[in-house]
Amino acid sequence: MYTKFFGNYLLNNGYITSEQLISALEVQGNYSIKLGVLAIHAGYMTSSQVEDVHITQTHNNKMFGEIAIEKGYLTQEQVDDLLKSQKPDYLVFSQTLNDLGYLDANHFEEAFNDYRKKYKLSKDDFSHSENKKLIDLIHTYYNITEDYLSNFFAQYLSILFNNIIRFIGKDFTPHPAKKVKIFPDGHRTYQKIIGEFPTISYYISDNNTLISFASRYAQEDFPEIDEYVEASVEDFLNLHNGLFITTMSNEFSIELFLEPPCSNTRLELNNDKDYYEIPITFSFGTVHFIVERTRTAQAV
Amino acid sequence: MESKSLDILICDDSILSRRQMKIMLTSITNCNIIEAENGEVAIEKYKKHKTDIVFLDLVMPVKDGITAAEELKKFDSDVYMIVASSVGTQQSIKKALTAGVKDFIQKPVDKTQLIRIVDAFLDWRN
Repeated sequence: MYTKFFGNYLLNNGYITSEQLISALEVQGNYSIKLGVLAIHAGYMTSSQVEDVHITQTHNNKMFGEIAIEKGYLTQEQVDDLLKSQKPDYLVFSQTLNDLGYLDANHFEEAFNDYRKKYKLSKDDFSHSENKKLIDLIHTYYNITEDYLSNFFAQYLSILFNNIIRFIGKDFTPHPAKKVKIFPDGHRTYQKIIGEFPTISYYISDNNTLISFASRYAQEDFPEIDEYVEASVEDFLNLHNGLFITTMSNEFSIELFLEPPCSNTRLELNNDKDYYEIPITFSFGTVHFIVERTRTAQAV
Repeated sequence: MESKSLDILICDDSILSRRQMKIMLTSITNCNIIEAENGEVAIEKYKKHKTDIVFLDLVMPVKDGITAAEELKKFDSDVYMIVASSVGTQQSIKKALTAGVKDFIQKPVDKTQLIRIVDAFLDWRN
């Protein structure tokens, strides 16, 4: 996950262009070897056990290794071994940029060290996606203050990134959040969350990106926009928000409620609220996730 | 799984979820699928068809899954209802069980979960 933010760091610091980033994300997606594949290759797990872990993984916010240990398929030592043999994302990213002729190894190392220093990350952090560390990174990256609402916002983003990895793919990079007064043009899907942390989360993208995003989520090849494409994005948002409110309930005893998601409905911006856009660039286009926040909160 | 066809009502406001569940269920067992896009339509269709199993989403327009479950239970105390929802909070599970729902599966629904549900229904019926 940390490599996703690093892609944006390279872009913002002039190491690569946005076109080069998109192209590298596309190529990188073909290189990554998943932990499950390595576990089968090492003889630690059968393919049906890996499938079982993948199914469980779609219903909660845990990592592959964590679930495999809980189910008794792997020991902690075996997970550690596999993680060591799994080439970390940042090394795959470095190799990809080098192979494409966008950034040589020396410049990559220089940028990588600066980035780790800025966000206080060790090289190990790039190999292990521990949730607590990810939340810390999100706090720093998005300049989130330690107030009550902000902590929920950080949880919301952490779950969003994990859901994108699980249901859409790893080939993305998040850009810094920005406050917006008008929404970007494009297809809009939104869902209201009611309760102690009321918010509205929006998905906005152009039509081609919408079709690609929906095709990945539904694992179908949609040729054009239809009701299934719209339903796919609504389902993604509903699934993500459902997992978010389930986490809030089970881990923080905070009960939140969802309204049904809606597509392409004009919704007036509320002058008493702030709207923060989190653009996320995939290899197929950019999706603008927007979250409504109450104005009393100090920062993002 | 068994020769006698099962009548199954899928109530979900997502046309994609309904289609995906229908594909999975028909690959698991011999069944006839009836679809409903909200709780109100589900009640109307259940009254007409009295299906063997009812799958209910929770968050839906017009009439939500919990309200629909309560009304279905009043209409037929033997109704076999399963909640399939992305919301798995303790409160929502408790409300669903109180309304007479037999089981709860968290979305995204997969084939393994559906096999378990159909098996449990067959055991319950026999």
